Amino acid sequence: MAEVVLQGVSKSYAGRPTVHAVDLAIADKEFMVLVGPSGCGKSTTLRMIAGLEDITSGRLLIDGREVTHAEPQKRDIAMVFQSYALYPHMTAYRNMAFGLLKTSRLSKEEIDQRIREAAEILHITHLLDRKPNALSGGERQRVAIGRALVRQPKVFLFDEPLSNLDAKLRTHMRGELKRLHKELGLTVIYVTHDQIEAMTLGTRVAILSQGRLQQVGAPMDLYMRPANTFVATFIGSPEMSLLRCALKPNGEGSLVHHAAFDTRVPERLEASEILLGVRPEEVIVGAADAPAMARGVVERTELIGSEALAEIRLGEDRIVARTPVMSAPPAGAEVGLNFDMARVRLFDAATGSAMPRL
Amino acid sequence: MVISPAFRARFSEAALAYCLLLPSLVFLAAFTYWPIVRSIYFSFHDVMLGSDKIFFLGLENYERLWTDKLFWKSLGNTVFYTLITIPCAIACALLLAVALDSKLRGMTFYRSAFFYPVMIPSVAAGMVWVFLYAPGYGPINSALAALGLPKVEWLYDARWALPAIMFMSIWKYSGYFMLILLAALQLVPRDLYEAAKLDGVSAWHRLIHITIPLISPTLYFVVIIGLLHSYQIFDYVYVMTQGGPADATNVLTFYIYQNGFQYQDIGYASTLANILLLFVGGLIGLIALVFGRRVHYLGH
Repeated sequence: MAEVVLQGVSKSYAGRPTVHAVDLAIADKEFMVLVGPSGCGKSTTLRMIAGLEDITSGRLLIDGREVTHAEPQKRDIAMVFQSYALYPHMTAYRNMAFGLLKTSRLSKEEIDQRIREAAEILHITHLLDRKPNALSGGERQRVAIGRALVRQPKVFLFDEPLSNLDAKLRTHMRGELKRLHKELGLTVIYVTHDQIEAMTLGTRVAILSQGRLQQVGAPMDLYMRPANTFVATFIGSPEMSLLRCALKPNGEGSLVHHAAFDTRVPERLEASEILLGVRPEEVIVGAADAPAMARGVVERTELIGSEALAEIRLGEDRIVARTPVMSAPPAGAEVGLNFDMARVRLFDAATGSAMPRL
Repeated sequence: MVISPAFRARFSEAALAYCLLLPSLVFLAAFTYWPIVRSIYFSFHDVMLGSDKIFFLGLENYERLWTDKLFWKSLGNTVFYTLITIPCAIACALLLAVALDSKLRGMTFYRSAFFYPVMIPSVAAGMVWVFLYAPGYGPINSALAALGLPKVEWLYDARWALPAIMFMSIWKYSGYFMLILLAALQLVPRDLYEAAKLDGVSAWHRLIHITIPLISPTLYFVVIIGLLHSYQIFDYVYVMTQGGPADATNVLTFYIYQNGFQYQDIGYASTLANILLLFVGGLIGLIALVFGRRVHYLGH
């Protein structure tokens, strides 16, 4: 068991709060991703879990034991840094052995066995005699992971470990990390600013913004049911379009009025103004003369391989639609638009919070 | 003859480089290399200061070294001074640098405070320490008396005079070395320490296994600079003890000065200077051979 629980964990620097009362429970063998834009407090939160930053207030429990103010080495965790933090004067083998040699009661044979096993898992056996400067970025990354693995800690912390790799290697290493997590049953807390990394790796994803936890959930939950406009626009690429609309009660449901269209939702909502959240794949683009909910003008079209993204002006707003390349409308074309109204999200324009849908 | 443009460009680049080097070379030749050549020449002759008469002696000055007890004493004092002063000063400097390598409030003040001795001219520092070591009214003896310990005639006791100068030199050198080491420490990536901390590696092991190897190029530089400084120690001896008592603080450079300027025996003084040059050169060569390859350069 290696459950990690954060209870109202906060961090302030010189009286200025940077992380606000984060409550989060990471289950045993879970792959939890902390994601958010730069400066959102995700790395600070991870470093507080590691013990590299003091926790200003709140409690931290690992495996049921309070470690809020415990020294890093007493938390039974291992961390992989963005820069890998490999000792440049030591070989890969020595990098992996160093911590164990200096702190554990394991014999040299046991340490050697652990290193050989980890090297085998990570496919780096042939690199053990090399120093970091003779390794590629991906190889360094594996050695850094190996150094964490040989410790056999309760929890693995990863601080943006793939950001220094090129796109192809990053995709490959994502697969490797996923494999390791599954094969070895690791408990992982992983920090990234890359939402694709978060969505593909995480069992659950915690989204932070300005030091506050916005939403925690399974990747598809976050995508399908964002709790607020921040999550709605942060997750998904291109981001969700938000259309400001007026709302009026209409029988059992509500009438949604936008400058370019009127529509109805089955929910009877209290707000007078809402934001209608539409993902690019929920916009159906048709011919200008075909029956449509709204009409707009294409401002530009981007081809992204098998699909195209069309940015369409709709009154004062802009909306992005995903279309097949073959039927991508050219810039300047007038088009008819229909929305998949069962899937669009509604947000309170005043608070940004999601409104319940039937 | 046709000169290719590439050759012309390379030639003019080399010519420019030599032109830029020339002023330094002129000074080096005039004030370093030429005196060395002259000193080698004089060491084979009997030359008196202020006299234009010069007599060839062959190896007589070098033979004289073997039987000159004061030469061996001054060489011994110099080696002893170096062997204690430089390692102690580097150790102090390293500990200070590690302690001051943080972003805590007030660090700039402490860094300046520890560097301050370096800014005091050697002669002034020597005078201050003469006062501190004064047998009757000196603060150090007053402190000893307050603790109920017997007073020590620091600079007038043959057992204590050299250690007293060595202590003062450690104080003077530490700040200088500290500043150089501090600059090197600040280049060591912080996350290496954090990784070691997470592994549970103790502060001592972090110092021995991470800090020292990663600042080894700078340590190597500091050792060489320290050796050069210590073998040239003259000013403190001149100001504080004049080589006494009973030649207990007579070091090689002071003995050279005595022979050259007090006894006016330029020939023998030159012989001593050549021996010092050979000794220091040999020692640095040896250090370079033994430690030079063990130095780890970050990023290489």
